Amino acid sequence: MREPLISVRDLQVHFHTHAGVVHALNGVSFDLYPGEILGLVGETGCGKSVTGLALLGLIPPPGQVVGGEIRYRGQNILTLPPAQMRALRGGKIAMIFQDPAAALNPVFTVGEQIELVTRRHRRMGREAARRQAAEVLRSVGMPEPERILDTYPHELSGGMQQRVMIAMALSCGAEVLVADEPTTALDVTIQAQILDLLVDLKRTRGLSILLITHNLGVVAETCDRVAVLYAGFIVETGPTGAIFQSMKHPYTQGLLAAIPHPSSRGRPLQAVPGTVPDGLQLPPGCLFHPRCPFAWDRCRQERPVLREVADGHQVACHLYAGEAER
Amino acid sequence: MKVWEYILRRLLLAVLVIFGVSVVTFFIARVVPSDPAALWVGPRPSPDQIAAARVKLGLDRPLYIQYFYYLGNLLRGDLGVSIKTHQPIVRDLRAYLPATLELVLVGMAMAVFIGIPLGVLSAARRNRFLDHFSRLVAVASVSIPTFWLGLLLQLIFFGQLHWLPISGRVSIGTALYRPIQTVTGFYLVDTLITRNWPAFRDALTHIILPAFTLATYAIGLTIRMTRSTMVEVLQEKYIVAARAAGLSERTILFRLALKNAIVPTLTVLALSFVYSLTGAILVEVIFSWPGLGSYVTSAIINVDFPVIIAVTLVVTVFYVLINLVLDLVQVVLDPRVVLK
Repeated sequence: MREPLISVRDLQVHFHTHAGVVHALNGVSFDLYPGEILGLVGETGCGKSVTGLALLGLIPPPGQVVGGEIRYRGQNILTLPPAQMRALRGGKIAMIFQDPAAALNPVFTVGEQIELVTRRHRRMGREAARRQAAEVLRSVGMPEPERILDTYPHELSGGMQQRVMIAMALSCGAEVLVADEPTTALDVTIQAQILDLLVDLKRTRGLSILLITHNLGVVAETCDRVAVLYAGFIVETGPTGAIFQSMKHPYTQGLLAAIPHPSSRGRPLQAVPGTVPDGLQLPPGCLFHPRCPFAWDRCRQERPVLREVADGHQVACHLYAGEAER
Repeated sequence: MKVWEYILRRLLLAVLVIFGVSVVTFFIARVVPSDPAALWVGPRPSPDQIAAARVKLGLDRPLYIQYFYYLGNLLRGDLGVSIKTHQPIVRDLRAYLPATLELVLVGMAMAVFIGIPLGVLSAARRNRFLDHFSRLVAVASVSIPTFWLGLLLQLIFFGQLHWLPISGRVSIGTALYRPIQTVTGFYLVDTLITRNWPAFRDALTHIILPAFTLATYAIGLTIRMTRSTMVEVLQEKYIVAARAAGLSERTILFRLALKNAIVPTLTVLALSFVYSLTGAILVEVIFSWPGLGSYVTSAIINVDFPVIIAVTLVVTVFYVLINLVLDLVQVVLDPRVVLK
């Protein structure tokens, strides 16, 4: 069995607000292996972005990790001293964001921004940093990298901006890329180009990518494995094929049923009934039971844990408890 | 070059503005109920003397003719003569303007080097001790009366500690034994050029207290302004992205964020700079600083209108120039700003 590069176990994050404690993550567990793309899917507000930020130790205040661990190459990064964590960020674990126009600093050139990062992580002169920046831009498929170095972000298109972000993220040889909705703000054709680039980087560099998205189409096209997040809790995880063909969890089934399809033309769309629970007041037992068509007594009392139902396919649902124990 | 075209256009516009200001101040000065001729002659004049002075000063001619004479002189660089002292105003300005400029520039430098870092750190450590402290400093420095602060500083640093001189631009000893050769009128610059080190030291110690007293208000404004824009900028996505890239907090605050947040602060500094040119009167009086503020105040009390108009014009020129510089700086700082 391969060793996971990143291993998250029972991660719990709370936000202490005036209204009370918001339970953002309630036991997130997943592994990210070298050279794979893991899709993290879920509805808005289910804790996808918080999970991504947690991997970089960047949970914004008043958020706080209250339990669990995040291991990078076996080391728990939650207990690292700040200086070592900073070296890890951008050095080994990098992140790109949903809106590249907002994630690039508007008053510095592309070159200045990339060079700042490379010179932070690697001792090199200005000239060398500039050459390195041009090189990394070329590696993400940017035409005329030397010219791009002297442009400002607003002079580039959305797709180019996202390429710059990716280049900056990879400029210091990061092994893990957290991609938080990297294509949501882009046109469909550009989306496809960026996703192709990510798949390409996985193949050529062996990059591991945590792809955070709410778009199941994106997941089907790019991800090797999928983890489904609901109310800050992983309800199902497994190989992409298994998830799409034999999804187990009622929530995953609901999500997939909600995808419009030509054959369902004329019929109303199957939305998951109800809404995501309020992080201030989580339901007891299974977090999904108030919306679940199959809920029974046990679901209202006991929180299910992830159990293997097939090779690499795990689900947290009492419906399959028997199957796993059999 | 597009930039030069822009500068040229702005300068031509500035000439118009200065012309307008000269018209307005000239006519306002003449409708104020006072008799320049009587002032010119001095105490207890005879009617004959006043009549003679009226002719000599051209006050017997129509107002618009007077203005054209004035404008003609102005274009030749002649700002006229003080009615009270009969001194050429240009000569007075050459003495007072550098003194004030030197004081104000040092004060502004203090505002930049104290106010901006405090504002930045205050925003970075929002609602923590340093933030509360610097906000207290900000509120205190805009609300403490200048004259009181000036006296207090004199009491402490001259009266108690004997660290700094109480007033003036240089001490008598320096004036007698190491006289400063006037080149620019800025003592700190002149002493540097002529390598008159003891005098430089002396001028430096003399300027600290008045410049700081003058700067307190600007320091307070700078802290508040920098803090509020920095708080906004620090919420931007590119700051999270910079943190995600592992950049140090110092780089993030003082390079990446500050360049996005600095323009409103510079605007405030520029405005207080222009204001201080004539608004430093209290500081100038307390520290016996021979500057523009005391010059124009005595002119106002005496209704010495050629001096009032001249100083108004000088301040206008600075106002226009500072605004031009501010606009150009903005273009340099933010590539999205386009000159129109």
